[in-house]
Amino acid sequence: MKNPQLRLVAALLFPIVVLATNTWMYQQQRSAGETFKFPIEGFDPRDLLSGHYLFYKVDYGVPSANACPTSDIAAALCLRPEKRVYPADERPANCEIYVQGECDANSVFTAGLNRFYIPQGYASQLEAKIADKKGEIEVSIDKRGNAAILDLLIDGKSWKETLQDE
Amino acid sequence: MTMIEKKLQVWEQQGLINGDQYEAILAFEQGDKQNNNWWLYSLLMLGSAIIGLGIISLIAANWVQIPDSIKLGVDFSCLLALAGVIFWYQHQTKHLISDTLIVAFILLCLASIGLIAQIYHINGRWYHAILLWSMITLPIVLFARHLFVHFLWVSLFINAAVWSSVDLAAGQLRTAMRELPAVLLLAPLLSASLYLLARRIALLHKTSSSFFFWFQISALIALVAIDLIRSGDDTQIFEWRWYLPAWITAALLIGLILSRRSYRPLNKGLLIAAIILLILYYHPDILFTGETRYTFSALDASARTSIWQADDIRAPILTIFILFLYTIHAGNSGYHRTFNLLTFLIGLRFVALYFQAMGGLAATGVGLILSGLMIIGIAWFWYSSRDRLQHWSKELTL
Repeated sequence: MKNPQLRLVAALLFPIVVLATNTWMYQQQRSAGETFKFPIEGFDPRDLLSGHYLFYKVDYGVPSANACPTSDIAAALCLRPEKRVYPADERPANCEIYVQGECDANSVFTAGLNRFYIPQGYASQLEAKIADKKGEIEVSIDKRGNAAILDLLIDGKSWKETLQDE
Repeated sequence: MTMIEKKLQVWEQQGLINGDQYEAILAFEQGDKQNNNWWLYSLLMLGSAIIGLGIISLIAANWVQIPDSIKLGVDFSCLLALAGVIFWYQHQTKHLISDTLIVAFILLCLASIGLIAQIYHINGRWYHAILLWSMITLPIVLFARHLFVHFLWVSLFINAAVWSSVDLAAGQLRTAMRELPAVLLLAPLLSASLYLLARRIALLHKTSSSFFFWFQISALIALVAIDLIRSGDDTQIFEWRWYLPAWITAALLIGLILSRRSYRPLNKGLLIAAIILLILYYHPDILFTGETRYTFSALDASARTSIWQADDIRAPILTIFILFLYTIHAGNSGYHRTFNLLTFLIGLRFVALYFQAMGGLAATGVGLILSGLMIIGIAWFWYSSRDRLQHWSKELTL
């Protein structure tokens, strides 16, 4: 590209196009997937919040016999027909829907869904409700195992509605 | 009357310059001063940075009330509007305003990444976000004319690149402290490699001084940190996978040094030797035994191993040797300030080595007198012999 003006236009539009594409992909992932709900709990009630992010442990409801076979591997959690964690390259063909993730150093399955952004002002209220095991996350999972968080639910309702009701 | 005017008057009175030269120098210096309004640049840059932060805060503070589509819509509208203003200002001769707008634009890009991560609850790491930001903003950063813009970009990019590389090699970073030595080793090697690459590629030339700055800072931190780890008998968890990015980068750096025409064979040898020694320094088993004579704890102040086996004696010797190799390179290449700083650091490390080697003796009255004499002696030796050393290093050729 020899024209400096065109180069400048390209340099200015490049980040905008990348960010817009990124946003569109996340939005597609949200709308194209199947919706699941998983209960959540704080793994340390004293430190559930870090800044504006709510950290929690997701309970995928996997029976202990079907949990991570080993630690520190890329894994896939099959949700149908049977809930079971497989090494990523050993996922059976009959697995209809799955979540990509990993088995961590403690052989616990994680899929990067353990963080939810909330405003600091509502932090203590939500923290208390999640400590009472009233929390769930609503997740959209597409055919390729990509999971995206849709909402944080308290007693089955969106956290925004719950806070408005109080 | 300014300092330069006073000096010029003295020089004119002494007959060193004539009246015309007096006027010409004064006009030149005053013109230069007009172009050198660093305080103004700094305030404008700071102002644009605060605007960027303000935008982030504004969006964050009203997060619940604003629907996601509105937040994203306003954000992208601001990006497009700012892009339009930058395009318009590039035709003007107001380079300072144009660069300030570029800073605001790249900060808004960073804020946008944060906003998208918040809206979609992306569970990413900070260094991945900054790496993405670095990649997408590099083209516009290359249009900036002032060093500050390049320095800002390089500072964030080098951090993100180093942490991301170690994260990739380690699988996923768990506790940053375990992998920190691998990060500290990679930082100077990557900065130096990118500096040499930036010197070669005309398009990236503007970023080279920032990479060189971070090379010097990170190299010093890497050397001090590993010296403390080895001398302090700290346990270091070593997994070769964490160090793979540093070793690959070191190979690339050695290749770049060997193919650099402006370096003489002596400089190439010195730099490659320093790199190899630094790599070996970060390996706990090759040059080190895991035993120290003394610990940092006064309660345990007893010699536990022989002086030649002790890591707290080997480590400072290695530090001094690496510093010495780079000092000779700096002196040989004519980097006076770097040369002076490095010779001073060598002297300082010698004093610390004396305390490490002598241990309890230094705590006695006679020991303290000897220590004081040694510090004065080293200071005098450094002051009197640095010029000779630099002269000698300049004469060295291979």
